[in-house]
Amino acid sequence: MTSSADAALTRLSRDGQTETEDRMLGAHAPARPGAPMRGNLGLARFFAVPGQIVSVLVLVMPLLVALYMSFTDWTPTRGSLLDASFVGFENYSELLIYDSRFLEAVTRTVLISVVCLAFEFTLGLGLAVLFLREFRGKAILFSAFLTPMMILPVVVGYTFWMLFQSNGPINQVIALVAGEGAMPEWFRSAPLAIATVIVTEVWHWTPLFFLILLSGLNAVPENPVRAAVILGASPRQVFWRVVLPMLKPVIIVAFVIRGMEVIKLFDEVFMLTRGGPGTATETISLYIYKLAFNDFQLAYGAAAAFLVLIGTLVIINFMLLPVRDQLLEARR
Amino acid sequence: MLVRKLTWPLAFLMALALVFTLFPVFWIVMTAIKPPTDWNAAPAIWIPHEPTLVNFRTLFDPNAIREYGVGGVSQAATASVLGSIFASVTATFFSILIGLFAAIGLSRYATMSKATPLVILSGRMFPPAAIAVPFVIIFSATNVIDTYSGLIAIYVAVTLPFSTWMLKSFVDDLPREIEEAAMIDGRSRLMAHLTVTIPLIRGGLFATTMLIFILNWSEFMFALVLSYTNVTTIPVQLAKYVTATAGTLYGVQAALAVLAMLPLVIGGFMIQSHLARGMTFGAVKR
Repeated sequence: MTSSADAALTRLSRDGQTETEDRMLGAHAPARPGAPMRGNLGLARFFAVPGQIVSVLVLVMPLLVALYMSFTDWTPTRGSLLDASFVGFENYSELLIYDSRFLEAVTRTVLISVVCLAFEFTLGLGLAVLFLREFRGKAILFSAFLTPMMILPVVVGYTFWMLFQSNGPINQVIALVAGEGAMPEWFRSAPLAIATVIVTEVWHWTPLFFLILLSGLNAVPENPVRAAVILGASPRQVFWRVVLPMLKPVIIVAFVIRGMEVIKLFDEVFMLTRGGPGTATETISLYIYKLAFNDFQLAYGAAAAFLVLIGTLVIINFMLLPVRDQLLEARR
Repeated sequence: MLVRKLTWPLAFLMALALVFTLFPVFWIVMTAIKPPTDWNAAPAIWIPHEPTLVNFRTLFDPNAIREYGVGGVSQAATASVLGSIFASVTATFFSILIGLFAAIGLSRYATMSKATPLVILSGRMFPPAAIAVPFVIIFSATNVIDTYSGLIAIYVAVTLPFSTWMLKSFVDDLPREIEEAAMIDGRSRLMAHLTVTIPLIRGGLFATTMLIFILNWSEFMFALVLSYTNVTTIPVQLAKYVTATAGTLYGVQAALAVLAMLPLVIGGFMIQSHLARGMTFGAVKR
């Protein structure tokens, strides 16, 4: 391909990207964009107030309590929270400087998240691309592939705990292929236990990537693709150079949505390993849970949670930068 | 896109993916209908020779399993099933009711600040274990700890961003002219919304209700830390079964797991076409 054709491909994908965004991210033209219905402030309040009351009472208030608590040395045995002594940033510095278990949990959670997201994206995209082809029984297969994401996390964790038992079906297959001696004790070794967590998570949430990416692929406009074909691009080039760049906003949405959830990973790990062996599979959420409800270090746990919140906010904000205008806002 | 046929090697890949996707579901269902002798057999039994429903009966009658010569379950799951149904249905109802008002308000009247979506998203980012801590303290002080009203209040608040945002995306799809026409006909604004807007988005309303129900039904951590003796839900009961019996009651545990996932799989398939929208706060439309 000549360099001018190359440049043309790049241009095609750039033009198409806006169109995909329009179709996918809901910038559909409303009857009259922008202008809210006029007048009647009272009615607007009437609609908004119940939601605001619930949010303030049940989300904002506890968060403020937790924030205050994170600056004290309070534990339930010391009586009222108001009597607890104010210790400033002591909890925070303790966490960041001395608490290796916390730092390890953070590193581990981030690593597990990155590996899971990479697998979920690759497998989900592969499957979505297969679904662009024509074949019989597409509708029913589509439903079948979505099944995992409809199952509750606790049950998924329990199911995989069963599958990975030393006399479970996975070891049975391994014995069949590699002999009895090759059967591992999944929950007794740290790397294998982490592998079970990753396999479980990937199985559970690949369907969501598949679903979002397939929606995106179906919304890709046809004209740039046709033009690229006329320019002489091979199917592979069309996919990598034209279609995939046009899919970028959708891909980011998928990563943000899943990233937010996987960083809180708890239910599945609780059922699978409870963080064991030792602390080998302890995620941030599991560590905070243990701090608060096994060791009753409530103030310290609250401080840990705020550190995690700040970290997540920063990361998500950076991820959202390229699509902020399309996602959620500016859509009225 | 250029439509091409699925070639044989690709069809094989897809079949492989299908096996991986469905095997865990197959396994949990098979385990749920295994008689006690098959539960822990080595090598594991894939398809029971004598399938039985005794595991399901045991959930509601702890002694039913004794006919197989196995000790009964310490606790029936009846309370947790009823608890799950009560908490999920009530919380879903309030979340949809409040969310519907907020959605109409946001879509038709409000001028939102640019930061609003991020504020809502950040609520989802906070580790639930940490939200649970102040809840336990506040609820203990106000005596709603270990009551369903406390649990339901949390569920409503946690699912409210989902219901508001998804419903707003459905209201956004509706041209304003329709409501305005109703107002010209002499109906008040409120009546126009009640009699025109809401009936017109009933499809979306149903899908959102289903999604919120799925979220509430699946919730584990809040139920775990806020339940002692009065309150229990299916996920908590499942966790209790697994710890209390150290994994010897596979069949009964699996039966509870199947019971827990059945309504979600059915409901999930019913709203399949709206799932992408629901899970992405309405950012992805189809």
